[in-house]
Amino acid sequence: MLKAVSVRLYTSLLVLVGTMVLVFCIVNVLPGDPALLILDPSSATPEMIANLREQLGLNQPFYERFGEYFLHVLQGDFGKSIVNSEPVLQKIVEHFPATLALTALSSLIAVVIGVTLGVLSAIHRNRWIDIVARMVGLFGISMPTFWSGILLILIFSVQLGWFPAMGSDGFSTLVLPAVTLGFVGSGFIVRMVRNSMLEVINEPFIVTLRAKGLPGRFIMYKHALRNALIPALTMVGVIIGDLMAGTVVIETVFSRQGIGRIIADAIMAKDLPVVQGVIFFSAIVYIVVNLLVDISYTLIDPRVRRTG
Amino acid sequence: MSKAYSKPAVWMKMTSLALAVTLVLAGCSGGGGKSSANTGGNISGAAPASSAEQSSAPAQGGELSYALATSPDQLDPHRSGLAVAVRVIRTLYDTLVVQLPGGEIKPWLATEWSISEDGKSYTFKLRQDVKFQDGTPFNAEAVKYSFDRIIDPETKAANALALVRPYESSEVIDEFTVKLNLSEPSQAFLGNVSQALLSIVSPTAAKKDGDQFTKHPVGTGPFKFVKWDKNSEIVVEKNPDYNWAPETVSQQGAPNLDKIIFKIVPEEATRIGSVQSGQVLAAETVPPQNILSFKNDANSQLYQAGTVGLPYTLFINHSKAPWNELKARQALQLGINVEAIVKTLYLGTYEQAWSPLSPGIFGYDASLEGGVKPDIEKAKQLLDELGWKAGADGIREKDGKKLTLHYVDGSPNREKRNDIAAIVQQQLKPLGIQVDVEITKDVATVVYANNNYDLYGNSQVNSDPNALYSIYHTTAPGARQNLPNLSDPELDKLLEDGATEQDQTKREAIYKEAQQLIINKAVIIPIYVFPYTVAASKKVQGLAFDSLGYPIFNDVYIAE
Repeated sequence: MLKAVSVRLYTSLLVLVGTMVLVFCIVNVLPGDPALLILDPSSATPEMIANLREQLGLNQPFYERFGEYFLHVLQGDFGKSIVNSEPVLQKIVEHFPATLALTALSSLIAVVIGVTLGVLSAIHRNRWIDIVARMVGLFGISMPTFWSGILLILIFSVQLGWFPAMGSDGFSTLVLPAVTLGFVGSGFIVRMVRNSMLEVINEPFIVTLRAKGLPGRFIMYKHALRNALIPALTMVGVIIGDLMAGTVVIETVFSRQGIGRIIADAIMAKDLPVVQGVIFFSAIVYIVVNLLVDISYTLIDPRVRRTG
Repeated sequence: MSKAYSKPAVWMKMTSLALAVTLVLAGCSGGGGKSSANTGGNISGAAPASSAEQSSAPAQGGELSYALATSPDQLDPHRSGLAVAVRVIRTLYDTLVVQLPGGEIKPWLATEWSISEDGKSYTFKLRQDVKFQDGTPFNAEAVKYSFDRIIDPETKAANALALVRPYESSEVIDEFTVKLNLSEPSQAFLGNVSQALLSIVSPTAAKKDGDQFTKHPVGTGPFKFVKWDKNSEIVVEKNPDYNWAPETVSQQGAPNLDKIIFKIVPEEATRIGSVQSGQVLAAETVPPQNILSFKNDANSQLYQAGTVGLPYTLFINHSKAPWNELKARQALQLGINVEAIVKTLYLGTYEQAWSPLSPGIFGYDASLEGGVKPDIEKAKQLLDELGWKAGADGIREKDGKKLTLHYVDGSPNREKRNDIAAIVQQQLKPLGIQVDVEITKDVATVVYANNNYDLYGNSQVNSDPNALYSIYHTTAPGARQNLPNLSDPELDKLLEDGATEQDQTKREAIYKEAQQLIINKAVIIPIYVFPYTVAASKKVQGLAFDSLGYPIFNDVYIAE
């Protein structure tokens, strides 16, 4: 198992470096001059623009800039925002907790709703509860979050006054955005769990257990669910990535603080160091989450331990 | 499936039931949510103030929460490039002079001033009782420092740099007298000095914090900076020592409010929703469809302030064929039905623009209003005369080239600007012009660097008609083009004269002539004048707006 983990760590590192190269290339190949975006195009003189480009290091060749960036990142220095000179790392560290809280709560909501409904709908296939669960799944997947988010604000904030419409202080401001995001995730999980439960239910070993006279509920939750959870768990790893990406929209809709907002603003302002830093940081988080998911397989399924 | 599996625990049943109900509820409310938008509110428990209460003496204390539509970029006036930042900057800093809504300049931090014979030096006498919020005394040194800071390349000043031009240097005459020297006379200078971006900053704080001054701004304004949570909120509190308000506000001493919390809420529906739910007391930039409902809402009120400067305008690129020909531009002028656009999109809440300047600015020519009327037949005839004949697909052609128009806009549908593009596209189709719309934030590259546009929409807040200079005057060789890519000696002369003419009557006539010339030569198509709108709870009293349409909070109080 230790070997399996170290191999995964090694590949993760490769993925990280790859991400960094890719992000740096994409961001630097995109058309547009940050100096022109910072200065007012209608009033800046050519000398002012040239000076700023010099200061931003935009005149150096591509490979030199990349080399310098890479070395700095190794030392934990992601550079400074070109908009307000704030260190990128500090920005991320300040804003990540808010995004983390949002992602964590929405993942929890997604898993609880998703697994519950998925299992119920598989067990009660083609009954009303199955139809409801499948509807929920479909809604979750197909509703755009900016729309469902605004809908929740209209109902629970403007009409009922139960939760604040925006902000990022306290648990009450977390509820609506987390539900909006969690709902999307639950849609995927419902379908995944339902399908894999249905597959497992019909496998010979379940039939055998049944034939031996074990109680139905015991078979379902002890044996079938455990087997059905493996693909669902993989899904959770992927969904956490999706949810993190979803915070870009959700944090804007609910006007929350977080790295989703940061990157949205940074892209608008072509604030290259911030864009690079946040994407790179998100990649680290995503890789760590998936690593944890992989490791947790072994806890659920003993077979993975042997084959891994 | 056997019976044993079909009995889930009760809570599970309830959960799924609750979910189903929520979904149905969500589905219903999507369409009919608006009808009862006034009910409920999780903070405002008190009844709205009656009109009788509004006339009573202003209440002291309290907090005003004010939702901004976008995040300020800087709280350093000299480095900011966004109008939204000015709403906050105005609370923290003061300027040497103030401009009244009619354009007249009055004292503020400066008590009086004189202009030299050649119009190139301004000598200001300063107030002697003013302190910065960090205790630094306000004096001639501070003024000199602030102006020199703007033109120092190290500062990376943005819009302030354009406003301060043609400022060259300052001399400290004595502790409270300062002389500002210009490289050439400018009639716009004093008006620009009244703008928030030319605020006086605390030299001690600005020197100490350098790049980071924007995060700990210090001025002499009615409010002191408390904190700025990026993308979330900016908090300012009452400056108890404040005693030097300009005559535009009635409260000469410290403001009534203890605190203003600027919340940053980019999403329109959320911003409006948080006023309706009582989570904030006021929110800026109300979408047209909500303006009417706020006007009729018993719990809230709507403020509308006309902004001054250049209205939202479509600039026609004169360096691109066939738009370098007057007839082609006139065809656009006659073919685009601006009235229909403004009525359709803004439901009668925005005014149509008729001139390159907006009403309310010095020199505005009201006689242009109602002048240009859409005339499709005339427009078609003009294009015929130029030799553009309808092709098989209805698009006009000449020498095997199709008549296309590259329409560029730089905002993600701010004030429905992208919808304007879509309507123009439809309106020009019957004329045989194919419009290709490009929406990009990177205007710097598309418009300025690559000159890849036929029509480009933009607007500008400004206090003086001299704003026309940077948009329409021929640019120096090697410098960046002006927006319509225009070089018209007649217009150049007018703009040069307007910048320096000291006789106000003559100056007004010059700018009227310039506006007529721009419209008669079909240089642009003016679209709408942007009103700054604020939806607020009835409890918010005393909100005022300066000559440019920015909110002033000195007199605001919360009526319970």
